[in-house]
Amino acid sequence: MSIMDYNGGALIGMKGKDCVAIATDKRFGIQAQTVSLDFTKVFQINPHTYMGFPGLATDIFTVYEKIMFRKRLYELKENRKISPKALASLVSNLLYENRFSPFFVEPMIVALDEVTLEPYMCDMDLIGCVNKSDNFVVGGTSSSQLYGLCEALWEPDMEEDQLFETISQALVSACNRDAISGWGAKVYIIKKDKVIVRDIKTRMD
Amino acid sequence: MDTIIDRGAPKARNFEPYASNGGSIVAISGKDFAIVASDTRLSEGYMIYTRKQSKLFQLSDKSVLGCTGCWCDTLSLTNIIQSQLKSYLYDHNTVMQPNSIAQLLSTLLYSRRFFPYYVYNVLAGLDNNGEGCLYSYDPVGHCEKVNYTAGGSSGVLMQPFLDSWLGNRTTDNPVTEEEALSLVKDAFTAAGERDIYTGDEVVYNIIKKDGIQTGVVQLRKD
Repeated sequence: MSIMDYNGGALIGMKGKDCVAIATDKRFGIQAQTVSLDFTKVFQINPHTYMGFPGLATDIFTVYEKIMFRKRLYELKENRKISPKALASLVSNLLYENRFSPFFVEPMIVALDEVTLEPYMCDMDLIGCVNKSDNFVVGGTSSSQLYGLCEALWEPDMEEDQLFETISQALVSACNRDAISGWGAKVYIIKKDKVIVRDIKTRMD
Repeated sequence: MDTIIDRGAPKARNFEPYASNGGSIVAISGKDFAIVASDTRLSEGYMIYTRKQSKLFQLSDKSVLGCTGCWCDTLSLTNIIQSQLKSYLYDHNTVMQPNSIAQLLSTLLYSRRFFPYYVYNVLAGLDNNGEGCLYSYDPVGHCEKVNYTAGGSSGVLMQPFLDSWLGNRTTDNPVTEEEALSLVKDAFTAAGERDIYTGDEVVYNIIKKDGIQTGVVQLRKD
């Protein structure tokens, strides 16, 4: 089993009409043993900028702290909030600096641009190869299941409510076919004037 | 006089009996029908052998077998099943019922427990009461009767999609033929976007009491 599958987890980002959403499961485990049920892998970077970190739990925190450090330096120097595009480059650089001893995370950025409120979404591999997406991004141990569901369920220009239904259904159904994902879920809908956070009940087995 | 031939350093020759030829199967059973579908791409690695190879095998006028995995094992296995069915027909003067074929297939697969046929099977048919029935297998013959299934290279992509639509059905809300067919099409279209081993076309068989209806749907060719 790969080290990327050591702790388990599932993440999705989805684009809607003038809004974006990111969803995570809440399981934290060590291989097949579940340890805790409130381990969300999504972090707020700025008011409209969120990041999800599928991968090895220890590296999730290390990489998150390193990103926040560099992001704060950037914002002090520039005296403005970092754009999602610049954040993607920042994260990509950080990961590629460790090209030959990588952090085992494949971060995704789901955001509205802090100035233009334009939706932005990307994910990358563990050495920082950025993949910009116009529809959805997936990550974690159930990424195959998520790809199948997102390809079938996603449609363009979804409103907030439909986006929530779609992303939740995709995450829950994918987790039900992955032994090391699930055990609760959390969905963030990011709009220009508010961010809606909802906890989702799932099967607990 | 003996001549000594220098054959160089000894070389290992590995026997590789299996190939992975891709392909996916989706099957759904309903009250008075069963639908089974496969894509038509046959490939290995980055090579497409053909874009027009159905993985469905009609075993009788009310049972169809879908096979993915190693194509040579598929051919071998289906040949054996078909000759066994013929023997049964001549011995008993009746066509074998799907539930019996299900057991035969399981026994056949398990007889090769330690050198398995590398084939994922889905058997669809109409049972003695004219209701749709579906049996899903692993390569060594474990058999499960299910209401819907997805298997093969895109099984992992399509199964949770089917779960979300059909997982909570009850008897007073059965799946209709039209709905089943549209789910099959949607599942394959989605899988064709992300799986390089699934594509080109979908062929489906709808098994009903008055016969087997066949159809083709186009998928991505790249």
